[in-house]
Amino acid sequence: MTSLPAKQNKKLGLVIDLDICVGCHACAVNCKEWNTSGHSSPLHDIDPYGDDPTGVWFNRIHTFEVESEINGSKTVHFPKSCLHCSDAPCVTVCPTGASYKREEDGIVLVNPETCIGCKLCSWSCPYGAREYDEEAGIMKKCTLCVDKIYNENIPESDRVPACVSTCPAGARSFGDLGDENSDIFKLVEERNGYDLMPEQDCLPTNKYLPPREKNNQFKNDALNSITNDNDFSFDTWKEIVEDASK
Amino acid sequence: MIMIFLLILGKKLLKMHPSKSIIFFTVMSGTGYGIIICLSFLALIAEINFNYGFKLSLILISFLFITLGLLSSTLHLGHPERAWRSFSQWRSSWLSREGLAAVLTYIPLMLFYLLWFLEMDIFKYFLYSASILSVITIYCTGQMYASLKTVPAWNNVYVTPIYLINGLSIGSLSIYCLTRFYESEIQHLYQFTLLSLALCLMLKIIYWFHIRTKSTSSINTAIGLGKDNKVSSFEGPHTGRNFLTTEMINKIKKEKANFLRLCFIILSCILPIYMIVQEATLIIDAFILKLSFFITLVFALIGMLIERYLFFIQAKHVVSLYYGENKV
Repeated sequence: MTSLPAKQNKKLGLVIDLDICVGCHACAVNCKEWNTSGHSSPLHDIDPYGDDPTGVWFNRIHTFEVESEINGSKTVHFPKSCLHCSDAPCVTVCPTGASYKREEDGIVLVNPETCIGCKLCSWSCPYGAREYDEEAGIMKKCTLCVDKIYNENIPESDRVPACVSTCPAGARSFGDLGDENSDIFKLVEERNGYDLMPEQDCLPTNKYLPPREKNNQFKNDALNSITNDNDFSFDTWKEIVEDASK
Repeated sequence: MIMIFLLILGKKLLKMHPSKSIIFFTVMSGTGYGIIICLSFLALIAEINFNYGFKLSLILISFLFITLGLLSSTLHLGHPERAWRSFSQWRSSWLSREGLAAVLTYIPLMLFYLLWFLEMDIFKYFLYSASILSVITIYCTGQMYASLKTVPAWNNVYVTPIYLINGLSIGSLSIYCLTRFYESEIQHLYQFTLLSLALCLMLKIIYWFHIRTKSTSSINTAIGLGKDNKVSSFEGPHTGRNFLTTEMINKIKKEKANFLRLCFIILSCILPIYMIVQEATLIIDAFILKLSFFITLVFALIGMLIERYLFFIQAKHVVSLYYGENKV
């Protein structure tokens, strides 16, 4: 059925910390690696070594420049994959019922047997989460590694999405965002996690944590001491660093 | 001149991205359904018993337009052989409703063709029901686009009426051109065609003014880092293209778009209206008259294709905010 489930027992999703992400693209690479041999395999590439390569990826890392009066200019790396929305338009527009949202954990999936490849779901998604596989003629998307997070053949500590387990900086967290007692829910509360494009009314499950405010005091102190203090030495510098780290 | 123009246009059509089959489908089927809807209006207020040749061509043209359009709509699918599955989700999906309505229309439509041809008076009831289902089909097509919040240029009240009035105007123009061809007259058709053509032009111009306003989605809401900060794309996720950039992020130069708008206005509205109103002064020879109305219809159809092309290419999807656009 392409109607959304009346209730969701769990809201599994990701939390992405924009303060930590260094834009290394490891999550995107490991996502491709896992999924090209998993539930949605293979994720086709077209002309991979030619002049005009293209292919199916579930996760992409954009980079933005944010200029603010308080914090100055900042580069923000911005990974984006399916946000497993509670009110997912990609599910309700599907004419065949191939696109569905699971009641048990809220994961949005595509049934490769019944998808006709009309691409309407990709048009209805504001986040560009859906990818058309030209070779297979069907839509594919982030499965939240449904074939990994419940996989009893791998160690329990590995049962998180590939993008989460591979992130070298720890910028990605995975968990039940519908459970107010979960660590991930508390993290979002604490760091003012937010929704992307809330005006699109999709109620995304995945949340983003904004970069922390810059502490300019430390920088200013250091600069002042260099310019004002003629006796500036390594020891003075060390003092400042030690003071700041207290 | 005309041939060169058509050749250039044809080449462009083959290369362009907004799906050719969808443009062809919505215009062709819209015209076919428009013929049926116009006929039912005429049947309400006048007699529509014409000679066999006229009837047969109307039947053939409307049937071919509807059917070829619907067939071409399956061409953009990754799995056309699974198209039948799309009839199942009418509870939530406008695309499913559209497919269902399109197929249901055939039942009264075929009966209407048969009974009309056999001159049995009950044909009218089948014509009316086919016409109601045709309206529903076009309505579903329009709603499919109008319900997409992700494309501000579609997510408004004008889109569905435009689909309906475009179908109706080109449909009634088709009937009008056929009456010239068979040298017959249908009561009220003259006023009906002119009215729908004028409405079509008016609505489209209102729509073009409407889509100049920007949506509430912007690069700031898309990445969510403060609504007063200046946010700009620094680097894309990769240097090449991807599915999203080819399918949804289409660009057209403003001058080119304006030129194409003018083409639509002239080909699909001004030219047909001029031909219909000035017909009396144009009669030089019966053959030339027939030919010129045939050409008018072909031009009007080309104009409609251009309009539909613009509808798709000028529709900015909010996902483009992640790929360098600041506003949509």
